Amino acid sequence: MMEHKPPSQDPPEQDPPEQDVPEQDVPEPVASEPAAVAAVQPAPAATPEVGAPDTGTPFTGLEAVGLSRSFGDVHAVVNMDLRAPAGQVTALIGPNGAGKTTLLLMLASLLAPDAGTISIMGVDPVKDPAAARAKIGWMPDTLGVWESLTAREILTSMGRFYRLPKAQIPGRVEELLALVNLLPLAEQKARVLSRGQQQRLSLARALIHDPQVLLLDEPASGLDPGSRVALRSILRRLAGEGKAIVVSSHVLAELDEIADGAVFVNQGRTVLAQTVAEADGQGRKYAIAALDPVVLNAALVGLGVEFEAGGGRRDSVTVTLGTQQHAARLLRDLVEAGAGVCAFAPASGALEESYMNMLVEQP
Amino acid sequence: MTLVNKGTPPLPGTPSESPVRQAGLSAYLGGVFAVVGMELRQRLRSRGWYIMLGIWFGLIWLVAALTWISWKAQTNRTDFDYVDPAMLAHGPGSLIFEVVLAFVLLFGLLVGPAFSANAISGDRAGGTLAIMQVTLLRPGQILWGKFLASWVAALAFLVVSVPFLIFGIAQGGLGVGYILIALLMLAIELGVVCALGVGISALANRPLFSIVVTYLAVAALTFGTLIAFGLGSMLSNGTVMANQSYYKDISHQSPEGEGMSGTYQEGYPDRPNPKDITDENDEYACYGPLVENRVIRTERVAWMLSMNPFVVVADAIPYPDPSDRGNQFYSVALFETVSQGARYAQAGPDATYQCANGKVTASYLAPQTPLWPLGLGLQLLVSAGILALAWRALRTPAGKLPKGTRVA
Repeated sequence: MMEHKPPSQDPPEQDPPEQDVPEQDVPEPVASEPAAVAAVQPAPAATPEVGAPDTGTPFTGLEAVGLSRSFGDVHAVVNMDLRAPAGQVTALIGPNGAGKTTLLLMLASLLAPDAGTISIMGVDPVKDPAAARAKIGWMPDTLGVWESLTAREILTSMGRFYRLPKAQIPGRVEELLALVNLLPLAEQKARVLSRGQQQRLSLARALIHDPQVLLLDEPASGLDPGSRVALRSILRRLAGEGKAIVVSSHVLAELDEIADGAVFVNQGRTVLAQTVAEADGQGRKYAIAALDPVVLNAALVGLGVEFEAGGGRRDSVTVTLGTQQHAARLLRDLVEAGAGVCAFAPASGALEESYMNMLVEQP
Repeated sequence: MTLVNKGTPPLPGTPSESPVRQAGLSAYLGGVFAVVGMELRQRLRSRGWYIMLGIWFGLIWLVAALTWISWKAQTNRTDFDYVDPAMLAHGPGSLIFEVVLAFVLLFGLLVGPAFSANAISGDRAGGTLAIMQVTLLRPGQILWGKFLASWVAALAFLVVSVPFLIFGIAQGGLGVGYILIALLMLAIELGVVCALGVGISALANRPLFSIVVTYLAVAALTFGTLIAFGLGSMLSNGTVMANQSYYKDISHQSPEGEGMSGTYQEGYPDRPNPKDITDENDEYACYGPLVENRVIRTERVAWMLSMNPFVVVADAIPYPDPSDRGNQFYSVALFETVSQGARYAQAGPDATYQCANGKVTASYLAPQTPLWPLGLGLQLLVSAGILALAWRALRTPAGKLPKGTRVA
């Protein structure tokens, strides 16, 4: 994922054809074609489902303003802002140690902020933790399972901790086990579950009391591809039910798919808050590969488009395009010029682009 | 690896009513019992618990058997007329009972920390504490639940040792009241240790640290109180006014008394003038002018001794009054000796120094105010204090955090 490097601003010193052996590369792009095809069609998340729920009425959801928290001399969070509207998935993005987990702990009512205010659907977790906790579902980045208990027992206990009516607990547990596809493993001790399975159990645990706000710290880490797809659809559906969801993750391509908005943090500060639509609208790099690189280069030169040798493993070139309209036009022009384009795709996700820009901005 | 079905996982059916916050005691207790249930379920599944239970049972069995065998060996000796016939009539019951009791208390003090001292620090290390804190559980509920669960687990060890205590009773000598009070006091002492352990585990960062500290706390109660009492006694010098004592038996005895050396007899004072006698009993008389005697004022530091678990248990058991026992030589009476020793310390020289203030002192301090309520009260005070600190440490949203801790 992170192998993408910001291309150097220097012009390419060598022509790509001299660099590589073309014969070997010709069949290569075929293998990656599905990915390219998938990316060419606009991603479903690019049109955020900022649906009907909140218009006109005052802001509902999770809102944190000016949060600060330090541990001794370490200023983990300095003046962070975060808005996660109900009905949307908000991504929390930042490098390791940026303060994401500290922020989530404060939002989850476990840590008191030194300064700033938090509103969980209108409730201040510092003043009324109990009321806030009934609305918060928190999935920590540490797995934290009771190893000698079974998945079903853990969820049942959590139901009792949340004071769900006793009669409802077994049914609710059953639903959640089915939701995260752990029913076949319900009677297994948590110790024998794999990391990904424990992660799914952790998600079910966070959902047991049907919270209005979901705080997920790295929910996708350790999940297999199928589980990721399932997680994505679960989160989209929960957002559709009007819940406010905050997801912190490093898998930016994944967040492109599920997030409506993103908050970028670094060194304890909120660096940027943008919607995915905005991220899509910003300038973006595209990787283009052709059957014959020489022809492609000639065609690009003919069209007057600046390009660089691609950073990827394939023999491709990278161009920077302002909008998706530009991309569509360039592709059409290249095809008309007979460049033999076999791959044409964003070189990086929209959020990844923002992320890399953000890091470049750092002193 | 099986994947999550990519299709449509069923909707998370929303519970018809979101968690209703019921106020009141029953809701509070409900949370406590949920924690207890979860904790006990985990403990019952750990193999170590059963292994320890087995070792415990075996050890107590061994101790009881050895005590019984050694008693038999002693009483069956015919080569010398050593054993008091009264003791033979008494049977080995009280001996076995006391040895087993002491053993159970000793081992209870040793296993108590093992059950309690990682209750919270272990959860913190495993990342599960924060998951409980983020629910509607209050810090007190977590604390009570963990404490009760560890206490119950420790009480199982007491239950295992009951047959041996009953065996001791059945061997004669002691009443059923004994066993009940002894068991009750043992249970309370285990509870004190568990409360200390759970409290310390909430305050400590690492499981190993909290276990070590809890063992040190138990050692402080068991040995530290003795040492503190000893050192404190040395600093509690004082004086008491007392006159001389005169043993009637000795003076009546003619010089052929075998145990007495001639010089001792010679040095012994003459029978005092009845006018000088200030007080007397069957055994001896106090006479003469009061003079100042340097003594150790043990009553000032007896409270330290009272916190010792052995003292508390020994002192709480009601021993039959010696006058009721007649002249019978009442077996070894290990615990009674401990109790009497502690009560002597508490009474201080005014009550125990011979002929203090010209008064005859009682040889048996049964009527004295018992020491154990003070000791148990102090123990409970310390435990409650530590639990209160633990409660503060468990409150969330957490304000100040100890250095190096992570909430999750």
